[in-house]
Amino acid sequence: MAPTSPPVSVRSSAARNRAGTVELNVVRKCYGDFVAVDDISFSIQPGKIYGLLGPNGAGKTSTLRMIIGIIVPDSGQITVFGEPLKREHKDRFGYLPEERGLYKKMKVLEHVLFLAQLKGLSSAEALKRARTWFDRFELSAWTGKKVEELSKGMQQKVQFIGAILHDPELIVMDEPFSGLDPASTVLLKDVLLELAKSGKTILFSTHGMDQAEKLCHSICLVNHGRVVLEGDLNQIKAGYGRCNVQIKYDGDAHFLQESRLVQSFNDYGNYVEVRLAPSADAQELLKLASAGARLSKFELMEPSLEEIFIDAVSKPAVEKTNA
Amino acid sequence: MRNLWLIIKREYLERVRTRSFLILTLLLPAIMTVVMILPAKLATMGEKAQHVVVVTSTTQFGEMVRQRFLSAMTATDNDDDDDAASSQSNASKPKPEQEYVIDVDANPTDAERDVLRDKVSSQAIDGYLWLTDDAIASGKVSWTSRSMAGFGERARLSETLNRILQYDRLSSSGLTAEQTERLLKPIKVEAVRVEHGHESKGSGGSKFLEVVVMVMLLYMAVLLYGISVMRSVLEEKTSRILEVLLSSATSTQLMAGKLLGVGAVGLTQILVWVVLAGVFAFPAMAMQPSFSELQIPLGVLFAFALFFLLGYLLYSTIYATIGAITTTEQEGQQLQFLVVIPLVLSVFMLGPVVRNPDAPAMVWMSMVPFFAPVLMYARIVVQTPPLWQIALSLLLLIGTIAGIMVLCARIYRIGILIYGKRPNLPEILKWLKYAKA
Repeated sequence: MAPTSPPVSVRSSAARNRAGTVELNVVRKCYGDFVAVDDISFSIQPGKIYGLLGPNGAGKTSTLRMIIGIIVPDSGQITVFGEPLKREHKDRFGYLPEERGLYKKMKVLEHVLFLAQLKGLSSAEALKRARTWFDRFELSAWTGKKVEELSKGMQQKVQFIGAILHDPELIVMDEPFSGLDPASTVLLKDVLLELAKSGKTILFSTHGMDQAEKLCHSICLVNHGRVVLEGDLNQIKAGYGRCNVQIKYDGDAHFLQESRLVQSFNDYGNYVEVRLAPSADAQELLKLASAGARLSKFELMEPSLEEIFIDAVSKPAVEKTNA
Repeated sequence: MRNLWLIIKREYLERVRTRSFLILTLLLPAIMTVVMILPAKLATMGEKAQHVVVVTSTTQFGEMVRQRFLSAMTATDNDDDDDAASSQSNASKPKPEQEYVIDVDANPTDAERDVLRDKVSSQAIDGYLWLTDDAIASGKVSWTSRSMAGFGERARLSETLNRILQYDRLSSSGLTAEQTERLLKPIKVEAVRVEHGHESKGSGGSKFLEVVVMVMLLYMAVLLYGISVMRSVLEEKTSRILEVLLSSATSTQLMAGKLLGVGAVGLTQILVWVVLAGVFAFPAMAMQPSFSELQIPLGVLFAFALFFLLGYLLYSTIYATIGAITTTEQEGQQLQFLVVIPLVLSVFMLGPVVRNPDAPAMVWMSMVPFFAPVLMYARIVVQTPPLWQIALSLLLLIGTIAGIMVLCARIYRIGILIYGKRPNLPEILKWLKYAKA
C-alpha cells in the first residue's frame, strides 16, 4: 500500500474552468454485458500532450474511438473543440489507429495524399507537405513503393504522416510507439514535442510508461474501464512523495531484508531500487546500509510512472466516487 | 461531396489498374468472338477441296448425282437459296466456295472398288460413294472414307442422297420435271416478328444469343468484381483502414463511393467493349453471313448498358454486404450463394421468358429486382414491353440498390467491432436498429 492515498484528480480549479480541447463527461460504453468504458471523465487542455494509460483491455481504444466519433457512447457527453462532435470537426483532427490501417496495394505517396485530401487538403499542398515529412522520416526512397513492400515500422511512419499532413489541431493516436525501433521512437517523440509546442493538442494511449513519463503533461490512468488516476503528471508524482531510494553499494546486502524500513526492492544489477515502508525514515536506512556496505550512491527518488501505475492498478478502484 | 468523389476516384483507379480488369476488358470479348466465329470458320476450312468419287452404273446418272450434290452443298450454306438448289439451272449459279471435287466413275467392278479403297487409304481421294443400281435397288448405298465425318455430316449426306433418289425415281416413273419439282419443293418457315408495327426478320436464335451474351458478361463481371468488392470491404475492416477512413468520412460515403467507383469501372468496361466491337467484331460479323442477322438496334444496346450496369451494381452491393457481415474471405465465399442463386435462377427463367415474354408470371418475375437485370433485358430484346413496365423495374432495381447500400453502410460501420465471430441474423438486425449510419 502506498504511504498516502494519492489524490485522484489533481487539476487546479483554474484549469477546470477553461474549456478543454477534449472533454469527457461520465462517458460509458458497453458491448453486451461487458462494460468497456465505465463512466470516464477527463479534460484535455489545448496545446498539451495527454497520455491515456492502462493495461491491455482497459478501455483505452474504445475511449479514443468515441472521442473521434467512430463509435457512439451509450451515455455521457463528449465535446471536442468546445462542442459536441460534428462532421465538420473531422477535418480538424488526425487519427492514428492502433492496428495500422493502410491499403496494402496502394503506393505510399498516393496513399498519404488520399488520406490528406479526405481531410480537405488540396493535392498540391498535400504533395508539398508530404515531401517534407517523408524526408524527415527517411522514407523518400519509398514513396513509389506499394505499402505492402514496407516494413511494419515504416508503414507506421507512413500512417503517422497520413494522420498529421493536414496539420490538425488535435492529434489522437492509439499506441503510436508500438513497433518502432529506438531511433524512430526518438524521432516520433521529437515530432510530437514540436507539434505540442506549436499549439497542437495531442492525445495518445500507451501501455509503455516510459514514453508517457517523458512526453506527457497530464495523464489518465484507466483500468477495467475506470479512471484510476488522472491529472497533471508532476502533481501526481509529488502526491506520491519521495518514498523511493536508489542505492548503489558494495558488500553486505542485509539491509534490504529489514522489513521495518523496506517495503519492497527491485534489483537492477547495477543498482537497487528500494521502496520505503510506510512511515520509514530514509536516514535510518542510510545508516543501516552504510554500516554493512560501501555506498557509492544513495538518492531519494520520485516514484516512476511505472510504479505508480502498478500501485494504482493493483488497488481496487475505490476512487471512482471522487472522480 | 469531396469525400465521396475522392473515394470514387480511389476505388476506380485501384480496380482499373489491376491485371484482372485488363484481362476481363480485352480478353473476354476476344474469347467470345473466337468462340462464336472460330468453329464456323474451322468447320469450313477443314472441308476445303474434298475429293470424292461417285461410283454409279451409268455415267449419265453419275453426272446427274454430281450436279445435284454440288448444288445441294452450296445451298446448305445459305438456307434462303433452297428453291434455286432444287431447280436444274445450277450451272449458272455462282459457287461461293469450291469445297468439293466430285468425280464420276461408271466402272462398278470389285477391282475398281479395291483401287478406290487403296486411294482412300493413300489419301489420294477423301472417300467414295458406292451408288450402283444394285446398291440403290437393295437400299444399301455405302460411303467409304477415312473418317466418319467429312463430306458434310453423314446425316446431311443421306438426306441429300434421298432427295436425289426420290427425284430420280419420280422422274423415271413418268412424272415431268415440273411435277417432281413441285412435289419435292421443300417448305421453309420464315420467322417474322412484329415490333412497333414493323416486321423484323431476326430469328429466335440470334435474339437468344443477344441475351446469353449479356448474361455471360454480367456473370463474369459480377463474379470478378463482386468478389473484389467483398475483398476490399474485408480488407478495410481487417486492416483497420476503416477506422482511419471513418475518422474522415461517413460509412455511407465510403460505401456509396466504393459502389459508384465499381460502377464506373463497369461503365468503362462497356465503353471499351462497344468500341472494340465497333472496330473489330462488326466487320468480322459482316463477313460471316450467319451473323448479318445480328444487327442490334440502338435501343437494345442502351438497354444492355443500363441493365448490365444496374445488375452489376446490385450484385456488387450484395457482395459488399457479405463483406461487411463476415470477417474472412472463406466465410464470405460461403455466403456467395446469396449472389449466385438469383443469377442462376434468372438463367433458368430465361427460356420461359424468351418463349413467353408476355405471360403475367414472366412480367412480374422480370420486375423482381434480383432478376430484372437479366429477365427485363431479355424481354426488351425479344419483344419490347410497355414502357411503364420497364420504368417500374428500373425504379425497383435502383431503389433496391440504394436500400441495400444504406443497410450495408450501417452493418459496415458496426462491423468495425467484430473480431472473429460471424454475427447471426438477430445480431445483424440489432445493429441495423442501433446504427444511425
